[in-house]
Amino acid sequence: MRFNLRNTLFLGLAIYISLSFVKKLTEPLYFEIPKGWPKPHYNFNDNPLTEEGFQLGRHLFYDPILSKDNTISCASCHLQATGFTHVDHSLSHGIEGRIGTRNSMALMNLAWSKSFMWDGGVNHLDVQPIAPITSSVEMDETLENVVTKLQKSTKYQNLFEKAFGTSQITGQRVLKALSQFELQLVSANSKYDKVMRKEAVFTQQEQKGYALFKANCASCHNEPLFTSEKFENNGLTLDTTLNDMGRMKISNKQEDYLRFKVPTLRNSQFTFPYMHDGRFKTLTEVVKHYNSLGNNKNLPKQLSKPMNLSDDERVDLVAFLNTLTDTEFLYNKRFSYPRE
Amino acid sequence: MNKKLYYIVLLLLFCSKGISQNRTDSLSLNFNVKFNHEPLVFHKQYISSNKDIIAFETFKCYISSIQIHYSDNSVFTEKESYHLLDLENPNSLHIPIIRATNKTISKVVFNIGIDSLTSNSGALAGDLDPTKGMYWAWQSGYINMKIEGKSSSCNPEASGRKNAFQFHVGGYMQPNYAMRKVEVIPNNSNLDITIDVAEFFSEIKLSETNSIMIPGKKAMKLADSSIKMFKTE
Repeated sequence: MRFNLRNTLFLGLAIYISLSFVKKLTEPLYFEIPKGWPKPHYNFNDNPLTEEGFQLGRHLFYDPILSKDNTISCASCHLQATGFTHVDHSLSHGIEGRIGTRNSMALMNLAWSKSFMWDGGVNHLDVQPIAPITSSVEMDETLENVVTKLQKSTKYQNLFEKAFGTSQITGQRVLKALSQFELQLVSANSKYDKVMRKEAVFTQQEQKGYALFKANCASCHNEPLFTSEKFENNGLTLDTTLNDMGRMKISNKQEDYLRFKVPTLRNSQFTFPYMHDGRFKTLTEVVKHYNSLGNNKNLPKQLSKPMNLSDDERVDLVAFLNTLTDTEFLYNKRFSYPRE
Repeated sequence: MNKKLYYIVLLLLFCSKGISQNRTDSLSLNFNVKFNHEPLVFHKQYISSNKDIIAFETFKCYISSIQIHYSDNSVFTEKESYHLLDLENPNSLHIPIIRATNKTISKVVFNIGIDSLTSNSGALAGDLDPTKGMYWAWQSGYINMKIEGKSSSCNPEASGRKNAFQFHVGGYMQPNYAMRKVEVIPNNSNLDITIDVAEFFSEIKLSETNSIMIPGKKAMKLADSSIKMFKTE
């Protein structure tokens, strides 16, 4: 065979190009921003979403391997059908029934969250799981040991290989995969959303409730995410058995005493109990709490005027809140326990 | 035939992504962890200037944003410059740096700890991977320096459980931003830098303070004193 420089170069180039595709056999996922919603806070460039990364994160989310004695998974306290929170438990419990000091938060629309936890102590979605994994009253494990346990599992070696092109498991990859799953938990198809998109109409009662909501609640529970992402004192008295001072523990600022993150109200019909310590069992109790406030100079200006809702108005407001239920999200099979 | 082989080799060289650096062009920053003038060894007893008898179990520290300044005023800035020094892992104490040939180094500048932007960037890899035991959970951020051990001065009355002391220095938010900049002037061609842990303990009385594990004013003071630990001999 005669040597031909052009052929050799061409062959070399072809091999080089095909090799560069070897590690890209993942299926990219497009993150859809619902119409009219703000730009997400999460930087997707640092963690490009793929189907394989999402599925790996889903397996990790539902796997008790994350806890010290392999009994508690993320899903133990974040159940899909209740908006990914721990229904019926005012305070969530971890391994060996150890009780924490706070009500687990509902997980949805996390790509728009700027901080995490009731006190905002966690600054990025990726690093949030470190808190429950290492908390002695939750999973009581170390991230290092989680990586060791996962590395021994053939199942996870395969899943990491598919998602990241390497079966080498690291803390970063575990956390990024969990983020990929959690970022997909978008709830944007409630009756409220359909009404906003003019695909449905509110009942008269819901419409009245919406007007009351806009007048009394929307200044902190900003549409369309139904949270301002801020920390506020909403007038709850200190539970002296817990002495939880909220945001102040993180910021060391006196003004942050008893301030907690404003939670989203989406799917709140099912995320009971309510508040950081789960002290209210029903939305009616919550509305009654706000109705009882007023003329307290320690409260933020949004709560300084009494609401003075009548009994009928309270019912109307709760009827509106129920339109924030997104059944499609709560029963979406893509987010459920991975059966394989 | 020879010519064909030559081109194939040339092509392979072309395709290979990393062109390896010439060995002679590299040098390393060598950190020597000491207590006064003795090398620091775990579980061996040392006496601080405050008369505390101390035995160490952990010494870990982040070094970041390394810059090499040359006598001609040029500066080499290391990219992705984050290094975890861990006394338990002696290899981690030597950081390879690419040397600009025939130039005299005038000073070495780096930070103790991790900057605020990086502390806000989610899950990171390599030395910054949160599995390294240098990441806080309940309040995000890196532990810039972790020194742990035992001392008889940490008695139960001073809340020193099992005579243990733990100093986890960190914090990325103002006013408690605990990263510190260090400048050292090397006095030989090897870049040997001493980390004298005795300096850290000269400002601490273990009978009074034996556990600082959150960002705040106390951590800021420890961060200030950590600057004095880095020197050339």
